[in-house]
Amino acid sequence: MILVNGKEIPWRKGMTIQTLLDECGYTFRMIAVWIDGTPYRNDQFEKVCIEDGADVQVLHMISGG
Amino acid sequence: MKFLKYRLDRCTMCGSCMAACSKAWAKKDDPALSRISVNNVTGLPDIKVCNQCGGCIAVCSSMALERDKNGVVQIRRDRCTSCLICVEFCPSASMFFSSDIPSPFKCVACGICVKACPQDVLSIVEEKEA
Amino acid sequence: MEEMRLLAEWKYEPKKLYRGYSKEFLSVDLGREDGAFSCDVLPVSEDMIEKFTGGRGFGLKILWDKVTPRSKWDDPENALVISGGPICGITQYPGTGKTYTVFLSPLTGQTYNSNAGGYFGPFMKASGFDALSVSGKASENVVLFIDGDEGVVRLFAWEPEDRNSYTVTEALHDHFAENEEDKRNISVISSGEAAEHSWWGALNFSFYDPRRGLPRLKQAGRGGGGTVLRDKKILALVVKKRNFSGTENNPADLSVLQKVGTKLHREIRQNDDVQCLMRKIGTAHLNLVMNDYDILPVNNFKFGRHEDIMEIDPVRYGFTQGYADGCWYGCSLACAKAVDGFELLTGPCRGQKVTVDGPEYETAASLGPNVGIFDPLWTIEANFYADHYALDTISLGTGLAFVCECFELGLITEEHTNGLELNFGAKDDLLELIHRMMDGRDDFANVVSQGIRRMKTLFADKYGADREIMERIGMEGQGLEVSQYRCQESMAQWGGYFLTLKGPQHDEAWLIFMDMVNKQLPTFEDKAEALFYFPNFRLWFSLVGVCKLPWNDVEPSDNRIRYKGIEAAKVPEHVQNYLEIYEGVTGKPLSREEMILQSERVYNYERIFNLRMGKGTRQYHNIPDRALGPVFPDEWEARSEYFDGKLKEAGHDPEGLPVEEKISLLQAHRRREWEKLVDAVYERRGWTPEGIPTIETVKRLGIDYPEVLDVLERRG
Repeated sequence: MILVNGKEIPWRKGMTIQTLLDECGYTFRMIAVWIDGTPYRNDQFEKVCIEDGADVQVLHMISGG
Repeated sequence: MKFLKYRLDRCTMCGSCMAACSKAWAKKDDPALSRISVNNVTGLPDIKVCNQCGGCIAVCSSMALERDKNGVVQIRRDRCTSCLICVEFCPSASMFFSSDIPSPFKCVACGICVKACPQDVLSIVEEKEA
Repeated sequence: MEEMRLLAEWKYEPKKLYRGYSKEFLSVDLGREDGAFSCDVLPVSEDMIEKFTGGRGFGLKILWDKVTPRSKWDDPENALVISGGPICGITQYPGTGKTYTVFLSPLTGQTYNSNAGGYFGPFMKASGFDALSVSGKASENVVLFIDGDEGVVRLFAWEPEDRNSYTVTEALHDHFAENEEDKRNISVISSGEAAEHSWWGALNFSFYDPRRGLPRLKQAGRGGGGTVLRDKKILALVVKKRNFSGTENNPADLSVLQKVGTKLHREIRQNDDVQCLMRKIGTAHLNLVMNDYDILPVNNFKFGRHEDIMEIDPVRYGFTQGYADGCWYGCSLACAKAVDGFELLTGPCRGQKVTVDGPEYETAASLGPNVGIFDPLWTIEANFYADHYALDTISLGTGLAFVCECFELGLITEEHTNGLELNFGAKDDLLELIHRMMDGRDDFANVVSQGIRRMKTLFADKYGADREIMERIGMEGQGLEVSQYRCQESMAQWGGYFLTLKGPQHDEAWLIFMDMVNKQLPTFEDKAEALFYFPNFRLWFSLVGVCKLPWNDVEPSDNRIRYKGIEAAKVPEHVQNYLEIYEGVTGKPLSREEMILQSERVYNYERIFNLRMGKGTRQYHNIPDRALGPVFPDEWEARSEYFDGKLKEAGHDPEGLPVEEKISLLQAHRRREWEKLVDAVYERRGWTPEGIPTIETVKRLGIDYPEVLDVLERRG
C-alpha cells in the first residue's frame, strides 16, 4: 500500500510516478509530486519508481480559476 | 537581406565595436548602450548581434518592428510602447534595452563597428532572398 | 455612418501622471433626462490613495458618495465608475491593462465590480484621470468622448440603426480616428441591444488589433454593467490618446519594471508550452482538464464529465496562431485568442465572415457542455452573438442551462417558450432564444434574460412552475449566476463561490484542486484561512489594475519543488514581482502583509457598502442544493460508488437505501457542514456570526469613517 494524498492505494512493483498519475486520472500539467517529503520534477515522473509504503503527495497547482 | 556577420575565431574582445556603436547611436561610450554585445564567457568571445531573422516582428502587438527595403529589421519608435517582449522572445538574444532609453534597440547593419574593429572580425553581408 | 450631434463640450488641462496617479478623476453626470449635463474634474485625496489604493477601491469610494441606501440600479444616481489603479497602463509586465468598473447591479441589487482588459483604462489614465464616473440618464442615445491630447470631453447624440457592440465599436474607431494608423489610439466601451432588456448586459472594452485591422473586444461581462450603461442611454464611452509610449505612468524606477518584466517574459517563453498553453490556446485549455476531474459543468452542473469531451478538445476551436494576442501592450501571455474568418450561419449577420473573440474557457463551458452541447462551431457562433448583443456569456450559459433543465422537468413547456423546444443540446432552438434576447420583443426571452433569480419568481408566478425544485437547481447566489466550475465536491469552493462579496464568480478563490484533490485543507480552520488569504490576495489585482492570469497560469519552473504545500500555490516569486512593480511605479515599498492589508480594507468596505444597500448579511449568502451535491437520482447514479462512499464518511450506511433517501441524507449533512464553514470563515474575516465586519475590524483597517460606523450602528 502507498498513501496518495492521504488515501490508500495498492502498490505494485515497478510503479513509477507516471503510472500512478495515470491510474489516478491526474492529467493536469501543473502537478508537483512529493514522495516522503522529497520533490520530483516532471521530467523524473517516468523514471522514478515508488517504494511500497511511500507517502505520496500529488499537488495540483491553481491555474485558470 | 543585409546583416552583420562575425568570425569568433578572430575576436580579442577588445570592445572597440561596442564603443563605436554606442558612441554613434547613443552618443555615449557605454557598452550597455551598444547594439552589439561581446562578452567574455569562459575566456572565449560570445557575440550577440541581430542576424535580421525577423523573429521579433510577429511577437510585437503594436507592429513596431518591420523590415526596411534592405531587409533590415527596424524599430518604429512612433509605434513602440516599450514593453520589451521582443527582448525576451528574440531567438539570438540580440535585442537590448536600458532604462535610459525606454524602447529597445538593436543592430541595423550600419557597419560602423566593422570599421572600428581592429581584428577584421565583422563584416556586412548581403544575402539574396530566395 | 449616422451623423453625430454635439450636445456639450468641456475643456480640461490633462494632468501628467506621477508615479502611477494623476490624483484627479472625471465625474460626468447626464442629468435627469433633462439635458442638464455636467462634467467636473475632482481631486483624489492622499487618504483615498492610502485607504483605497485605486481601481476597484476608488470605484467603491466614488460610488458610495454618489448613491444613497435607497438607490436602485436604474436610478439616475447609480454610476459606472471605471478605474485602472496605479500599475494599470505600464507595459513592461504582462497583464497590466486591467480596469475595474463598479456599479449597482440589476442582478444583485448591491455593488458589483467587473474587470476587463483592452486599452480604455490605460488611455484614460494617460488622459489624466485615475477614474471616470458616469452617472445620470440622458434622454437620447449618447456617446461620451474624451480626447486626452487636446484635453476636451465631448458629449454627442447619436442614433445608429444598429446598436450592437461590434458595429458600434467599429464605427467609433473609424469616426474618431484620422486614419488607419490612428485607430490604435482609441478605445471604446460599448454594450449591445440585448443590454436594453436583459440584466445580463455586458460591457465590451475595445483594443485595436493592427494586424487584423479591426477592433477586438474584451468583456467586463458580469453583473449587468452593460445594462446600466444602456439604462443611462449611453451607447459608448470613448477615449483617445495618441503616441502611447509605455512610460506615461512616470514610474519611480523604470529599471525595476524592465528587470521584473523581462524575467516574466522569459519564463512565459520557456514554460508556457509545458504549463498552461495560454499563448497557443488561452484559457480554453481547461476543457479537457476539468472533464478529467469531474469539474466540467454538464447539463446545468448535473454532471462533471461527458463521453463527447474530445469533440471540444480546444484545438478544434481553430484559434488563429502566430499573432500577438495580448489585450494590452506587453502581455506576452497573449491569451486573447480569436477565431478568424468564421462564417456565421444564423442571425442578422448570417453569411458574414467575422473574427470571434474567444471562446475562453468560461464561454467554452457555459455555451457548450453546460447546455449539453459539444460542438465548437455552435459555441463560437453563440460566443459571437453574445458579445455582439452584449450578453454576459457566463450568466447566459448558466441561465440557459437552468432553462433547459426546467424544460426537461416539464416546469415550463413550449407554450411558455413561444414554441422553442429547449432540451439540453437543442442547438437551433437555444441559438434562436439568444437571438430573441436581442430585440426585447419576445416575452419569454425577456424573462430568461433577467437572470435565474427572476426566472424562479416569474416561472412560478406566470407559468406555475414548482418553486422548490427551481430553488434547488437554479445555480445562482446573491442573484448572480455561477461561473463554470462544479464546486459540489470541494467544500472550500462552496465558500470560494458563495461566501463572496458579489456572488458566485471565482475571482476571489479557486480552491477545488487544493481542497478536493490535494487534500490540503482538511479542517474548517484551514478552509477559512484559504478563504481569507486568496480572496484578499486576489482582490489586490483589482486595486492596482493587473490581470490574475500571469500570477499562476505560468510559474517559475522550480516553483512546485522549491515551495512546500500551499505556499507553492501562492507562487511566492510572482508575489515578489508584484511587490517590486508596485514600488517601482509608486515609489512606496510594500510587504506581503501590507499587500493583504490594502485588500482587506477594500474587501470590508465593500461588504459594508452592501450592508448599507440592505444586503451583506448571512441570509444573503445563499447556496443552492445543486452546488452542494446531487439533487436527482441520475446525478447520484453517475458516480454511485463515489457518493455512497461520501455518505459513509458522513456516518450513514447507504446499504439498501433508496437513492432519493441517500440524496436527502447527503444534502442534509452538507447543509450542516456549510453552516460550520460559514461560521469559520466569518470569524477568520473578523466578522460577526451574521457576516458583518466588527467595529474592531474596521478600526484595525483604518476604514472607521463616520459613514461606515453609521452603517454598522444602524445594521450591525
